[in-house]
Amino acid sequence: MIVLKWLFLTISPCDAAEPWQLGFQDAATPIMQGIIDLHHDIFFFLILILVFVLWILVRALWHFHYKENAIPQRIVHGTTIEILWTIFPSLILMFIAIPSFALLYSMDEVVVDPAITIKAIGHQWYWTYEYSDYNSSDEQSLTFDSYMIPEEDLELGQLRLLEVDNRVVVPAKTHLRIIVTSADVLHSWAVPSLGVKCDAVPGRLNQISILVQREGVYYGQCSEICGTNHAFMPIVVEAVSRKDYGSWVSNQLIPQTGEA
Amino acid sequence: MAESVSAQTPSLSEQYHLEKEVKPVEVQAEEVEAKEDSPPEEAVEDKSESPASTEVTSEEAPAAATEEENTTEDVAEETPDEIKLETAPADFRFPTTNQTRHCFTRYIEYHRCVAAKGDDAPECDKFSKFYRSLCPGEWVDRWNEQRENGTFPGPL
Repeated sequence: MIVLKWLFLTISPCDAAEPWQLGFQDAATPIMQGIIDLHHDIFFFLILILVFVLWILVRALWHFHYKENAIPQRIVHGTTIEILWTIFPSLILMFIAIPSFALLYSMDEVVVDPAITIKAIGHQWYWTYEYSDYNSSDEQSLTFDSYMIPEEDLELGQLRLLEVDNRVVVPAKTHLRIIVTSADVLHSWAVPSLGVKCDAVPGRLNQISILVQREGVYYGQCSEICGTNHAFMPIVVEAVSRKDYGSWVSNQLIPQTGEA
Repeated sequence: MAESVSAQTPSLSEQYHLEKEVKPVEVQAEEVEAKEDSPPEEAVEDKSESPASTEVTSEEAPAAATEEENTTEDVAEETPDEIKLETAPADFRFPTTNQTRHCFTRYIEYHRCVAAKGDDAPECDKFSKFYRSLCPGEWVDRWNEQRENGTFPGPL
């Protein structure tokens, strides 16, 4: 039992890009889980259609090769088949559209008031995070920059081009509001495991609501071309328990109150 | 700042570690539930506007949750730092993704409140918290400068 527990706890979910990765990263939010489920739904119909089309194509090439069958047929109309190949794709599209719209509208629902607001501000070429819920004046009490750790400074086990010096610490199982904007050019705040990609537009505040369902460290990268170091401004979100989040915030705020 | 962050955030194995001390939290959760009942009632009586009361009751719920963690912190550390998990609520006037106008409106509401009621009015604190949560610090600084210069482009 203890061995099983140890094994289970040390196997980490895929929350970062892996070499030659083909599938999704593991979901950590309901949105991402919804996206993965929709993908599975659509993929089923996709395989059906693919097999059918390939079958027809191969069969036609095989049986109607000019050496096997020299006289071509000249069929112009076929009302029944034309009706069928209009109706069936419409039905398939309807089966695809129903879960798709369900997910789309549920992603837009803002039912619960968030507990925390975090601002992610894109710069060339790093992110700044502001946690301003604890400000008692216009002075920013908790704000920090998040730069990528360059390759030469990486420690053993760290991920190349993905690690940052200061991570975005968030409480797990808490409704968060992330406000994404930019201080200079377009950027995009993307974390695949959380199912989030939001453009950072200068002069505009884009809001996304997420609920991280498990503790962990989630990696993402800037997703809008923003200059020479666009590939080198990653995002790392670290979800911790509420208690740990509270103590982290207190520790960040203490130096400020000490100085003030 | 960078060093303090890396020193304080727990490693992955620390996060996943399951502790056996579940009982103390449950005992204090019962105590906090008794406290939890009285503050929302008082808060509802105090506030006359209905949207404000829903704000307060939703704020009370995370505040009570943090009171729970604060009582456990009291037992452990004897230094209760009350970090309240409350922020600007979702405003139905701004239901879409673009919250630029929401931030701007809250800023203007605060300054109108201050102009009407004076600098130290406690009613205006609510608005100040809202705009500070929503608006980037740079925007607030720029607007403060514009107000001082008299060039603020808004109906103050």
